[in-house]
Amino acid sequence: MRMISQAWAVVRKDLLLEWRGRSRIISVLLFGVVTLLLFSFAVGPDSVLLKAAAGGFLVLALLLSSTLGLSESFRVEQEQRAIEGLLLLPVDPVALYYGKCLSNTLFLMLLAPVLTPVALFFYNVNLDLTGFLTLFGLWTLAAAGLSAPGTLYAAMTSRLQSQDVLLPLLLFPLVIPVLMGSVKSVTLVLTGDPMSQIQSWTLLLASFAIIYWSLCGLLFPHAIEEGT
Amino acid sequence: MSEGVIIGGWNYVIAAYAITGAGLVGYVWSLIARLRKSHNREED
Amino acid sequence: MSQRMTRIHIFGLVGLLMLLVGSFMGLFLAPQERYMGDVQRIMYVHLPTAWNGMLCYTFAFGFAIASIWQHKPKWDALTVGAIEVGVLLNALLLIQGSIWARPTWGVWWDWDVRLTTSLIMLLLFAGVLALRSFVQDPERRAVWTAIATLVAFVDVPLVYFCVRWWRSLHQVQSTPETVSAGMVWPLRINSIALLLLVIWMVAQRARLELIRRRNEQVDEPAKMAPVGGLENV
Repeated sequence: MRMISQAWAVVRKDLLLEWRGRSRIISVLLFGVVTLLLFSFAVGPDSVLLKAAAGGFLVLALLLSSTLGLSESFRVEQEQRAIEGLLLLPVDPVALYYGKCLSNTLFLMLLAPVLTPVALFFYNVNLDLTGFLTLFGLWTLAAAGLSAPGTLYAAMTSRLQSQDVLLPLLLFPLVIPVLMGSVKSVTLVLTGDPMSQIQSWTLLLASFAIIYWSLCGLLFPHAIEEGT
Repeated sequence: MSEGVIIGGWNYVIAAYAITGAGLVGYVWSLIARLRKSHNREED
Repeated sequence: MSQRMTRIHIFGLVGLLMLLVGSFMGLFLAPQERYMGDVQRIMYVHLPTAWNGMLCYTFAFGFAIASIWQHKPKWDALTVGAIEVGVLLNALLLIQGSIWARPTWGVWWDWDVRLTTSLIMLLLFAGVLALRSFVQDPERRAVWTAIATLVAFVDVPLVYFCVRWWRSLHQVQSTPETVSAGMVWPLRINSIALLLLVIWMVAQRARLELIRRRNEQVDEPAKMAPVGGLENV
């Protein structure tokens, strides 16, 4: 299908650019680590408190880092006026959206394997391999959920001067279900899940991702069209 | 669940109604003011 | 045009009068509630505010779909009208809810499911208004407002469920709502009254938006959406 190959071409381009500009992802990761540190300072060295809040802090750090990543994802296009280039080529806007969305999801997924061990280290939480894999799976769902509206809003706000304010302002209330779903499930993985609640939260994360991947894909072409 | 009767509390009731009223009146006022301003601009 | 104008003002006036009547009934004529005493009378404004607020956002959702379907200024004007009035009612709802919570539960804020969802809705739709204020081109502004409204509205049920599950792990304080016959009438009257007022306010706000848009076009007649006009946004 042509749309899939177009979307994949967008992903490959983004991944290649990411690799060439590795300093960006390293900076975002460092930002995530700093955020984890600041949360610890806010709460104090009481290890019981930290352990209980570890899931929440980790997810928040990932969320804040993700905003940086998302706002950058269209900046490259903005700086080189490349988005018109993309639009002039026969790239289906929907393929463009899903390609961007996928590369953003992959970018976000890269954050978890680095920030999770750091969080576990700071907050003194032990985790076995199954736990790690579960966390990674959860974060993949959450990353997908964040990327869908994130990519749409990043594209829209990249054309406005106040993107650095507007993108978080629009996104953060919207992704509260993803935030809560991730915090709850991560905490359950870290501290045990005697009542098997993790399924409801995972269902919420999956529903959010599915609903928004569909809706934002439909709306994206309208968001980037030039005039009527 | 609160059992037993809450005595008094008229202050809260009045506060709620007053703020609601003020909010509605304030918004209507601002609407009318903005409409007037736009009308004047239109006529210029 | 002026006949239509006068007709809409009737909505406003009747709504206002009914609101005064309904509130009077609720404050002085309705019976006292068994457990909550007089504090329960707050419900006669709180429930109508809640219902009409949600109705406004639902109207906005409908107008937003129309706005994307048919790029006509009137749909955008109605969308922003519905959102602005919705945000007003939403803010009032939170204040009323907090005032009600204090004597009832002893705290100003309790993370009650409906109030928490309401707070998130306020942030969502206020965000749409914020986005609007940064976009100069009226056509893009209309489309983006519609997109943001749709995205926000779809989130509401998701937010509601997630807050509910989040709360269900803790003790849930439910609102004892014993509604006796004497309470139904002030509630009904105030709900309809507020609805009439809302219709009037949304219509006026929409009218304001259309006038503003006309003024914009007069000010900058040469302004067409340029290709790649990224610096003009």
